[in-house]
Amino acid sequence: MKKLINSRFLFAVPALAFLFIFVLLPVFSVFVLSFFSWDLISPPKFTGWGNFLRLLEDKWFWNSIWVSIKLLMMTVPMCFFVPLALAVCLYKETTFSKILRAFFYWPYMMPAVAGTTMFKWLLSYDLGLLNHIIKSAGFSPVPWLLKPTPALFAISLLRTWGMTGLLMMMFITGLQSVPEEFHEAARVDGANRWQTFWYVTFPLLKNTNLLVLTTAIAHVFRDFAGVYVLTGGGPGYSTMVTPLYIYNTAFTQWRIGYAYAMSVVFLLISFAIAVVTLRVRER
Amino acid sequence: MARCIKLIFLIVMLLLYMLPVYYSIASSFKSLKEIYSYPPTVFPQNPSLQGYIEALRKQDMLTYLRNTLFVAVVATIITVMISVMGGYGLAKGTFIGKIALNRLVVMTLFITAQVIMVPLFVIIRRLGLINNLWGLILPAVYTPTGMFTAIQYMKDIPDEFLESAKVDGASEWVIFWKIVFPLSKPLIAALSIFSFTWRWNDFVLPLLVVNRRSLYTLQLALAVIQGEFGGTPWNTILAFSTLTIIPTLVIFLLFQRFFMRGITAGGLKY
Repeated sequence: MKKLINSRFLFAVPALAFLFIFVLLPVFSVFVLSFFSWDLISPPKFTGWGNFLRLLEDKWFWNSIWVSIKLLMMTVPMCFFVPLALAVCLYKETTFSKILRAFFYWPYMMPAVAGTTMFKWLLSYDLGLLNHIIKSAGFSPVPWLLKPTPALFAISLLRTWGMTGLLMMMFITGLQSVPEEFHEAARVDGANRWQTFWYVTFPLLKNTNLLVLTTAIAHVFRDFAGVYVLTGGGPGYSTMVTPLYIYNTAFTQWRIGYAYAMSVVFLLISFAIAVVTLRVRER
Repeated sequence: MARCIKLIFLIVMLLLYMLPVYYSIASSFKSLKEIYSYPPTVFPQNPSLQGYIEALRKQDMLTYLRNTLFVAVVATIITVMISVMGGYGLAKGTFIGKIALNRLVVMTLFITAQVIMVPLFVIIRRLGLINNLWGLILPAVYTPTGMFTAIQYMKDIPDEFLESAKVDGASEWVIFWKIVFPLSKPLIAALSIFSFTWRWNDFVLPLLVVNRRSLYTLQLALAVIQGEFGGTPWNTILAFSTLTIIPTLVIFLLFQRFFMRGITAGGLKY
């Protein structure tokens, strides 16, 4: 008879201890303490649904969700088609494409703060190279980080720049798994390259497409460092994404219980994205 | 024709993607006067090391570097140990709830520090680790991606290896050190590279845990000096940025394959 527990399981105990203290405990405490009002100094006071009722009326919280949605709408199309186009050009295993892939992948590897700083410099209103190029071409300079819509667009450019490499590699893996015969068959039937791609290859990439979409959504949705350094949520609240708003509520106003309530909502949305991603992966 | 379009597209994209990096590195070699003059120059006219000297002298970069290295190295050692052991335990052990625990590990792939920022801070504070470099290490040593990779790797080790050692009378401890650990060298290499890079690049945890200057890590310091009153000159900031991306660039160039394939499999960071 097989034992129900053997001692080999004990090897997992240190890892599980860290998992418990620094991942599960925070998740559970969020759900419990979101029903309390707490400033870290005096003991937590039970307020029932109070935090959540206030949340419903907090226009800046809903603003942060709306900012995230706007960011997603701007970023996801770019994060889909740019990596796809690059992958189509670079999916063959040649030295040339391997070298180019590394260039596009590098921004993903860079420390977020350093990469964002470099982006910020490029986008500087009066000293940035980008506005200089725009002016030289005869257009008026763009106030990248000074006006709401350009600032949102700047964040979305930054995210696309940072994520392209990862998503491109996902597409490349997908493209390489499409058997060459499918292309040949389509060509024999008289389809041109463009038609072959859209009617044969692209539908076969269905799972890859979903994986890329969910990954892009997850990254945009929870980006913190990029927004923190590039705009700090400004101008005004125009780029105040949810994680940044939670951070400010907790660490500049010390409304911990209320920040927990917002974290609950944020966590539930993250879980929803996770469940969809896992479904896609298991297929 | 199609080939020509493809090539032009790739060149344009490459220029666009490298523009921020190129312009920043080039600007980091400009003097204070040149960097604040209009129009901006594409190449530094009189290359100067002013920014670098300022970054090293005024900004105390060496202290930040020491902190970052300490955190990255110690956290990496612990991460490798607990992940290799944990992966082995969860993949090869028998216990009630094994499937549930393995599922749980997969779910943690989606819980990053940004999502649980506030409760994580509260727990670190309760443990007395605020303004302590261990507060940057211990909360980070369990990495979902690392754990997930370790479990997948351990599943592929044939059970016969372990069984035959057991028949020979080896204890579990001996089996792990004499058989499993040596077989895990590729896993250990991958985990070390990933973990070091993550800790080096990390910003969220240092922001939460540390507010004393002498404990800053490089990335935290880089973010803080940009927001300071009076402002740090751009050439210093850019010199600082350039210096902090060099180690990750070297690691990336040396272990490119690991990253580009490995992360695609794992999918997400941390």
